[in-house]
Amino acid sequence: MKNLDSVFAAYLIGWAVFFVFSLTVAKRAASLKEELTRLKERLNESGPKGK
Amino acid sequence: MAKTGIYTFIVCLLIGVTAYASFYVAPTESTMGLVQRIFYLHAPSGMTSLAAFLVSFIGSVGYILTRKPRWDWLAVSAAEVGVAFCTVVLLTGPIWAHPAWGVWWAWDARLTSTLVLWLLYVAFLILRTMIEDADRRALVSAFFGVFTFLDVPLVYGSIWWWRTQHPQPVVFTSAGLDPTMRKVFYLSWLSLTCLMALLIRQRYELEQSREELRTLEQELEAH
Amino acid sequence: MPLLSNTAVLLRKELQSEYRSHELLTTASVFILIVIVLFSFTFDPTSAESRQFGPGLLWLAFLFSASLMLQPCFLKERTNDTLSALRLAVSDPFAIFLAKLCANTIFLLVTELLLLFVFAVFYNVAVLSVFPKLALVFFLGSLGIATTGTALSAISSQARMREVLLPLLLMPLLVPVLIPSTEATKALLEAEPTLRWDWLGILIAFDVVFLTALWLFGEYLLEE
Repeated sequence: MKNLDSVFAAYLIGWAVFFVFSLTVAKRAASLKEELTRLKERLNESGPKGK
Repeated sequence: MAKTGIYTFIVCLLIGVTAYASFYVAPTESTMGLVQRIFYLHAPSGMTSLAAFLVSFIGSVGYILTRKPRWDWLAVSAAEVGVAFCTVVLLTGPIWAHPAWGVWWAWDARLTSTLVLWLLYVAFLILRTMIEDADRRALVSAFFGVFTFLDVPLVYGSIWWWRTQHPQPVVFTSAGLDPTMRKVFYLSWLSLTCLMALLIRQRYELEQSREELRTLEQELEAH
Repeated sequence: MPLLSNTAVLLRKELQSEYRSHELLTTASVFILIVIVLFSFTFDPTSAESRQFGPGLLWLAFLFSASLMLQPCFLKERTNDTLSALRLAVSDPFAIFLAKLCANTIFLLVTELLLLFVFAVFYNVAVLSVFPKLALVFFLGSLGIATTGTALSAISSQARMREVLLPLLLMPLLVPVLIPSTEATKALLEAEPTLRWDWLGILIAFDVVFLTALWLFGEYLLEE
């Protein structure tokens, strides 16, 4: 059925938008968390050493 | 952590049930046939985007009144999620319109208003990228956020009245909704609203982490 | 009342400054003229078509011109930091906005009415008989453009890429001004002119909403 393609496409594209949004946020969050742990380690090192 | 996991699972479950209902429970519409089922994603997405923008407005007002950054985080998170839902409306609209009415785009009141809404909040997000200082950005975009949201009813009103004066044959809703259709519609609306909350929460936590990073960097510089 | 007297003083300053330089009025008028002429190359303006498409093109020209004209509004206060001086000079910061938006409304109205006559000549449209009513429509529309434009000028002056940012922020916001103004103007240019109070109602609502919003929240835009 021709119209089935349209319905399928609509739902696929619609859900792709939400998926891509969530995925990009998750990726950025992951890289941020990595950066955070790195910085925290550096802070712990410089803390006792510096003082 | 576990709470978010459970909530995510519930949202996925709701979405799954909604998808099943949209395809198998809801009866086929008489005039448009199968294509009309796009309605169960298209229309509730529009309403959910408005809800997201309302949350963003609350964030903007909250920031202006309290100056606490978490209100700004809420404003930007909700605005981005709102734009995502708006995008879904604008993409599913033409996919519905083409088989149903033979045109890719129809300047129907709701679709046109959604387009303007999309432009407004994309402008909001662009404004934020043009201001470097975090506090200034928060305050200025909060103000613009208030202006933008106040514009929304005026946009809808003026476009709706304009369409009433110059009517068109294209109509994006099923005017008389069968009771089962109505139930599926509300189910879809519920699941999309829950998804909205989940996405806003996810985006909000990203802003929170950013702020944590900023404070840590400042602490490191101080040493 | 200190707000009104402060506003009056600042308004006089704005008007005097424009009277001396003529910068805004000249550039805005010429720009609208250019747009009107350019549009004539895009369709063949018979009298009936002009009445149908003319109001739309006229208001689009006004919007584009306004978004250019409103750029210097707050930008000029950044040189020599005159904004701080203004803030100290008034008791209510809203006076600064009120004065600027009144001045901008006047500038917009003057250019619009001037170019209305040019439009009437170029496109063979009768405007004299309905001039007072047209002036009312133009006033309400210009007030809406000036209110939001002045606020947005304060916003964009604090951001990068402000020349492009101001129109980008302003245009979508002004959809509820463009539609009613165009429709009301169109109704007045018809063979049987009517004053459309339904459209004017939306314009009035827009003006009230944004004036109030500016009054409530404007001072936060002027913070250091």
